Amino acid sequence: MTLPTASLSRYLSSLVILVFLAACTAPQSSASFAGAAGSNMQTGQARQDQIARGRFVVITHDCGGCHGGGSNPAANGWLDGVHDTINDVFRIGPFVTRPKNLTPDNATGMGRITERQIFNALRYGLRPEETPDVDITSATPGQGNFPLHPHYLAIPMPWPAWRQMQEQDLWAIAAYLKQGVKPSRNRVQDSDGPPDFWASEYTVAKIGPDPSAPYPTAKEKGGPEK
Amino acid sequence: MARRCTLLALLTFSGSLVAQSPPRATRGAAAIPARATSSPKAESSNPPILVNTSRLPNTVEVSITAAIATLSLQPGVTSEVFAYNGSVPGPTLDVREGDHVIVHFRNNLPEPTTVHWHGIHLPFESDGSPFHPIKPGETHDYEFTVRPGTAGTYWYHPHPDHRTGFAIGKGLFGGIVVRAANDPLPPMADKLIILSDNRFLKDGMIDFPDPMSHHGGVDEENGREGPVLFVNGHVMPTISIRSGETQRWRIVNGSAGRIYRIALPGRSLIQVGSDGGLFEKPVAVKDIVLATGERVEILVRGTDPPGTKTTLQNLPYDRYAPQTRPTDWNTTLDLLTLQTTDEPPMTPVAIPAMLRKIIPLDTTKSTAVRTIVFSQGLINGKTMDMARVDVSSTVGATEIWEIENIVGMDHPFHLHGFQFQVLDRDGVPEPYRAWKDMLNIPKHTSARIIVRYDDYPGKWMFHCHILDHEDHGMMGVLEVK
Repeated sequence: MTLPTASLSRYLSSLVILVFLAACTAPQSSASFAGAAGSNMQTGQARQDQIARGRFVVITHDCGGCHGGGSNPAANGWLDGVHDTINDVFRIGPFVTRPKNLTPDNATGMGRITERQIFNALRYGLRPEETPDVDITSATPGQGNFPLHPHYLAIPMPWPAWRQMQEQDLWAIAAYLKQGVKPSRNRVQDSDGPPDFWASEYTVAKIGPDPSAPYPTAKEKGGPEK
Repeated sequence: MARRCTLLALLTFSGSLVAQSPPRATRGAAAIPARATSSPKAESSNPPILVNTSRLPNTVEVSITAAIATLSLQPGVTSEVFAYNGSVPGPTLDVREGDHVIVHFRNNLPEPTTVHWHGIHLPFESDGSPFHPIKPGETHDYEFTVRPGTAGTYWYHPHPDHRTGFAIGKGLFGGIVVRAANDPLPPMADKLIILSDNRFLKDGMIDFPDPMSHHGGVDEENGREGPVLFVNGHVMPTISIRSGETQRWRIVNGSAGRIYRIALPGRSLIQVGSDGGLFEKPVAVKDIVLATGERVEILVRGTDPPGTKTTLQNLPYDRYAPQTRPTDWNTTLDLLTLQTTDEPPMTPVAIPAMLRKIIPLDTTKSTAVRTIVFSQGLINGKTMDMARVDVSSTVGATEIWEIENIVGMDHPFHLHGFQFQVLDRDGVPEPYRAWKDMLNIPKHTSARIIVRYDDYPGKWMFHCHILDHEDHGMMGVLEVK
């Protein structure tokens, strides 16, 4: 797999930010987040807090870096997918990934995708339009509602790292995308991915176990005092 | 060959007489017409017709057995198939509006099955849906009365839970022709053309790959297609036409996943009907996209000089998502040869400008608007659950369904039990009225239909008619109380 330099650096910077934030932001999670599946049912102030938290996580995790608007929620094209399909796409070998419209537009965005499907996409890497809207309790195909034939998000969507985030933050992202962003109509051409739905990339050997091995691993130093 | 000619002539004869309300006695094996000798040679035959064993008026009583058979579908090799009464496609159910139909069905297959009378308005118990499986060795009588005004082309096929694609791929499908009491079209040769495709292993066995294999995954995503195209179970047959002659072709897409785009090069097709029978007026079209399960009726004119031939083609049609689009999708394929006979040209028959009146369903009567979202393998984010009711309504209600396809692959919508009318597609009003039970929803588009549940309470399926999608749960339940 090869990425063009520009895309690669953007991808890597996303990952760096991600890893940094995964370590730094988790402790800030508010106690008002239920955290469990179905936390999208919150109402009132708790719901507003959840959406605000989701906005923070979306901005700090650079979702707009690929999906539009950079880190500026006031920017034109905020999260509504690529517009420049020549320069702002990822060319990976013979394949092309075109970051999608994440706004809740029914026809061109995620208006018909539920918060739970978004959660499952971030938590398990499952394409929301191909994965049932159900609670998933296992990462093993065929078990715990995990699809027997999983269809994964296209590379370079960095869900293998995103999945390590606290679940309430993933729910907060879903809440923000569905309730905190205005729908914007922008039809993004479908990505041209391989017929194995990227599944071969997402073996445990390549993306690591979930959850990660306990700290410190053999590659790390420090850790809890003994 | 002699038998073929007789059968063809019989069909032609029977079809010719329909417009003149023939007495019942002319139907059946006794009707060997004088026209047998004038049948063109090398004619592609219609499938056999189910023999009506009833002596009662307006009653059609037939027997169908589904069983394993060994047939030669391609030259030189045999294939183990599932067949209705030993043939692929199965024999045609040929009935008239108003007929009371009784089908004595026997399941001699090694697995449960049903017979779904695709497009026919009938009682829930006779719909052959997954709610009423027939176990191996069991029999079941399907019974329904063909409603007046529903003359058209339909088909029957299995509809067992999770196994429809396999069962149809193994060979279980047959045509249904409902003839009108007063057919507005003049007498002419009446051809039933059932399209199917299949994929075979070298030894002739039908190729159903391991679902966990790469091939199985592609089949699951696309719907299983095969490189061998069949017309009534034959590869590239010939249909003869006399110069100046007009023929009525009833075309059924019996494929599991393939959507056809049919055309006769260099000429327009005169489409006169769709799933639920004739249009109001004939429509000239360049080509016709025929989704899985969908039917069209077209008039084909012998406009070529005697002794020449042309080809009914399947033009490329991109229904696929990029991930699994076949590399050869952009290839034109031949379906059958249309041979103009050496006979001198005949005077063309006149085609009426008006075929019938289709009364539009009244949108102001609609009591509910349903949103049906198709994504890949899902309807409204869910997979099929037989214990769940997805849409609940009452007999007599009129509803509008908005069907949205939010993914990059076509999904043909099918509703059991009730014919509907298309209001618009992507906001563009439907140019002409038709009764439909199939509607292709192309990638990233939407359509609105209107339907009235004018009879028959029950639990009716609605689903994607790409059979692999249906079998993997792209199906819902409409309960009409």
